[in-house]
Amino acid sequence: MSNEKTVLKGLGQCSFTRNGDPAAIDVKDGKIIRIRPLHFEDKYTKEEIKPWRIEKDGHVLEPQLKSHLAPYMLAYKKRVYSPNRILYPLIREDWDPSGAPGSTGPGGRNVENRGKSKYKRISWDEATDIIAAEIKRVRSTYGPYAVLCHGDGHGETKMVHGPHSCQMLLMEKVGGYTQAIRNADSWEGWYWGAEHVWGEGAQGHSTDADNVLYDITQNTKMLIAIGCDLETTPWGFGGQFPTNVCYFWNDIGIKQISIAPDLNYYAAVHADKWIPILPNTDAALHLAVAYTWIDEGTYDKAYVDTHVVGFEQFRAYVMGEEDGVPKTPEWAAEKTGVSEWTIKALAREWASVPTSTIHYYGGSYIRGPYSHEPARLEVCLVGMQGMGKPGTHVYNKMADGLTQLDMPRPEILLKLDVIRSKVWSGRPLLEVTKQLIPKTQLHQAILEGSCWSWGNTSLYAHIDDQFKKYTYPIPKEEGGSEVHMIWMDNPCRSTCWNNSMESIQAYRSPKIETFVVQHPWLENDTIYADIILPVNTKLEERDFAQISSASPMNGIAIEEKAIEPLGESLSDYEAAGEVAKKLGLYDEYTDKLSIDEKIKWGYEVSGCQDAISWEELNRKGYYYIRTEDDWEKYPAGMRLFYEDPEKYPLKTPTGKLEFFSQRLADHFPDDKERPPYPKWIENGPSHDERLSSPRAKKYPLLLVSNHPRWRTHAENDDITWTREIRTCKVKGPDGYMYEPVWIHPQDAEARGIKDGDIVKLINERGTVLGAAIVWERIMPGVTYQDHGARADMISTEAGASIDRGGANNLISPANGTSQNCWGMATSGYLVDVQKVTAAEMEEWRTKFPAAFTRDYAPAAGLRYMTWIRGEE
Amino acid sequence: MAKKVFLIDVGRCNGCYSCQIACKDEHVGNDWSPIAKPQPDTGQFWLRQTEYVRGTVPKVKMHYIPIPCQHCDEAPCIEACPIEGAIYRRDDGLVIVDPEKCTGCRKCLLSCPYDALFFNEDLNIVQKCTGCAHLLDEGWSVPRCVDICPTQAMRFGDEEEFQEELAKAKAAGTLTQLGDAQATKPRVYYLNVPKKFIGGLLYDPAEKEIVKGAKCTLTDQASGEKHTTQSDGFGDFWFEGLEEDRTFTLTIEAEGFQTKTYDKLDTTQDVNLGEIALGR
Repeated sequence: MSNEKTVLKGLGQCSFTRNGDPAAIDVKDGKIIRIRPLHFEDKYTKEEIKPWRIEKDGHVLEPQLKSHLAPYMLAYKKRVYSPNRILYPLIREDWDPSGAPGSTGPGGRNVENRGKSKYKRISWDEATDIIAAEIKRVRSTYGPYAVLCHGDGHGETKMVHGPHSCQMLLMEKVGGYTQAIRNADSWEGWYWGAEHVWGEGAQGHSTDADNVLYDITQNTKMLIAIGCDLETTPWGFGGQFPTNVCYFWNDIGIKQISIAPDLNYYAAVHADKWIPILPNTDAALHLAVAYTWIDEGTYDKAYVDTHVVGFEQFRAYVMGEEDGVPKTPEWAAEKTGVSEWTIKALAREWASVPTSTIHYYGGSYIRGPYSHEPARLEVCLVGMQGMGKPGTHVYNKMADGLTQLDMPRPEILLKLDVIRSKVWSGRPLLEVTKQLIPKTQLHQAILEGSCWSWGNTSLYAHIDDQFKKYTYPIPKEEGGSEVHMIWMDNPCRSTCWNNSMESIQAYRSPKIETFVVQHPWLENDTIYADIILPVNTKLEERDFAQISSASPMNGIAIEEKAIEPLGESLSDYEAAGEVAKKLGLYDEYTDKLSIDEKIKWGYEVSGCQDAISWEELNRKGYYYIRTEDDWEKYPAGMRLFYEDPEKYPLKTPTGKLEFFSQRLADHFPDDKERPPYPKWIENGPSHDERLSSPRAKKYPLLLVSNHPRWRTHAENDDITWTREIRTCKVKGPDGYMYEPVWIHPQDAEARGIKDGDIVKLINERGTVLGAAIVWERIMPGVTYQDHGARADMISTEAGASIDRGGANNLISPANGTSQNCWGMATSGYLVDVQKVTAAEMEEWRTKFPAAFTRDYAPAAGLRYMTWIRGEE
Repeated sequence: MAKKVFLIDVGRCNGCYSCQIACKDEHVGNDWSPIAKPQPDTGQFWLRQTEYVRGTVPKVKMHYIPIPCQHCDEAPCIEACPIEGAIYRRDDGLVIVDPEKCTGCRKCLLSCPYDALFFNEDLNIVQKCTGCAHLLDEGWSVPRCVDICPTQAMRFGDEEEFQEELAKAKAAGTLTQLGDAQATKPRVYYLNVPKKFIGGLLYDPAEKEIVKGAKCTLTDQASGEKHTTQSDGFGDFWFEGLEEDRTFTLTIEAEGFQTKTYDKLDTTQDVNLGEIALGR
């Protein structure tokens, strides 16, 4: 037999406890043999699972009785056994914790060398002694909140073992810290915009999501995917079930339209029509559609009268009565690159058949400058056609908070929030610390010493929080101070956050005396740390899991350990626990519960404890919740609001769809960037990224940067098997594996660029390299490079940074979504693409020799030994 | 013993590359002697995914064709191999390169029209897809690539199981095989491989509107065969499933507009006629 044991692991990388389709891991002789789909019929009959089933016109949609793994989940043993695994604690060789702040030379902290100097091995004992001592010193010197805890949002999804913010759990017991608040990263537009129209919900989406899938199947005739890639984005968090939903909808004849700058992977196989649109100009398209409906009287007037407030102001703006500019299709054609006749046709087709829009979070569409505008305009448009009417929805497919209701109702609603509060070792999500820094402002906070924002920006904050002002630091009398120590997990600011070049400058600020990182791999921003704690992967841990994100069904699982931890690695929970021991807080940190006890507790509060016994769960490994009988009966989406808005109001102040938000008008009367009702924002104090800008003379292309095809953000960039695929990496003439840059043949020819050439994306913020794929999957005037590639800095010189790895977040706009909205803008901004000549490359080699002598193997990329002193 | 076939529905392949990767997961770092020795970490593609991008902005279509070893009934590699039994066919039809007997002469490599064979420099042997015979022998019903496929585009099983479906597809003209199938007799069948398209978008430049309901007639110049369609609510018209390397005449007739004709449209490539202005 080729395996001794098989364990199951949810390999979704959403983190925060929501796991995706589980994989079966076959193990023999202590080694992972293979990762394959879990076949449910190995342990359960179909009748026992009782999956749901939707039939239409002779076609069937139902969950397969096996998990729908995404390709990099399948390849995950390459991450477990990655050449970049950190096997023991490391300390930066020129960082001395006894050195004074800002000290250089021998015995100093040498913070300016972060990212350049090498590491040497130390023991867990030494590492945790230093960390504990530094925590005490920094707090007593500067104040109770002088330690910044930065937990990331992606990476492995674990429950008891963290990850992401176990250090916060500890620091709470220590007495306080400054929390880096995770923003609504991936749904900025919904959070800052759409919520103000339809009220708050998970990820800024309407929480009423029951049976939208079913209702679209029964009643929708046209589906519009705007900047949406259902063939890519779900991969990181769940798996490939959405693929089957889209094929089913193709089979039953629902017309699928993809509106995006690129022929994305969803459009490539599902779209009946691709409407190319310039990045971040969708708001103009939406306004022109509204204009056409108003002009031709083809919107649901009766619904608008009873379900919408503020339509009159909106209408006046759209028709040009406010600013003298009617938002006609002709006006929009110039902004969007979509022809006037196509815009009119879209408006008419949309008005003539039940139409829904579809998203998976939001993609690059709502991650650009002023993204709240296209998001809330979309809600207005669907509202104008009677949102909640049969077939008429904004469908956010399988977003986190909606998972249970998105799919046909299970018999038991999993108590995920309870499980989290009891058993997850991360920070409770709904609370924030007294002193906090929004992640989008971290570099500013450190470099300038202060920052402020409207709202703490937390993805879980109540909408009212957007009207509350937060400043950092808080007053000294309240214990406030600047931060002087960072403890970060899964660090990837340079690849994933806004204007992340400044993050690197911030890491090197003398204010940051100590920088602790815990992570499994020596990659991304781990290389800027002073002390690194080795974390293991979840295949080396035993844990409890909820399995449902982007999956067709919901369930719980016990994830047994597949293999022993590599080297001296511990889990995130255990790593922070070792520091807890040194601080004498281990009992407080663990609540005196063992990991096994916590796993059982998770089961006991899950909601499934009466459906399956603990013994049976251990025997079978997992339990899928059966589908409820008559699940079809639940009103779909916002149906109840549609039928009776008085009895079933929305969570807005008026209970209606607020095209005009009085609340925004009251709080931000002078905000021209996010007005009380949605508008086209050409430019403003926060952003100047349109083709009309004078900057466009030098940077005439717009960049679209999507959730990556072959990674989950910055995760998985070193998997050798995906790197062999051309849309993942293009082998340059120099043998280096570059991040692809898509460019249309027209634009390539104008720049003398051929397929496979090394190219650079440039703007004032720096230079990022890639290699060209010249093809028709991208419209002229636009270039595309996925986000999240591992940075490989040639130069980190302020104002003249050059990255070889393709981490385009390094050159993304510095400002938030808009002046009062500190989300981030990481797509839809001006760049140029130019060929990198041999001469220029040679110049760089001469000027920055260290960058070209790193330990690099094309198969997996940058390697561990680059940063390690001595033998492994 | 029942002989196996692969049935791959290209119309259902989403291009996820899971098949290509699952094969690596199974065979990199795992020794399945006597069926197969480990393949190197990179560089071999026992199942190779291929991509096709056709047309021009915005009428661009894509499809993917996964290519495993074709396990030919008339395998050129068996023919070319100078060593008795070094490449053999099992009772279930799968063709195996014996990692013990292979001497690395590479004559088979040159003979394969499907580029299915790879040379392992370190082991000095030739390697290829085994249909995961070692797993089938252990009780698996399908190889890794088929097991992982999220859409069931890839299927595998006994020939008899698929007879009816294959016959229907053949009659409908949606069944193909790769290369010179008459000669090699591959055990891999493909469904719904797209042919060529001709498409365009009709609009009225005077009114700045699309033209819906225009009658579009495509005539094969050689055979006289006609296809007709109407432009839709977006002004789009598509003719799909056209044979390659044909020459067509296209006539576009819309009420109130002058007839537009294209005399010589060749399907050497897919044709996007772009936005076509109709005159009144």
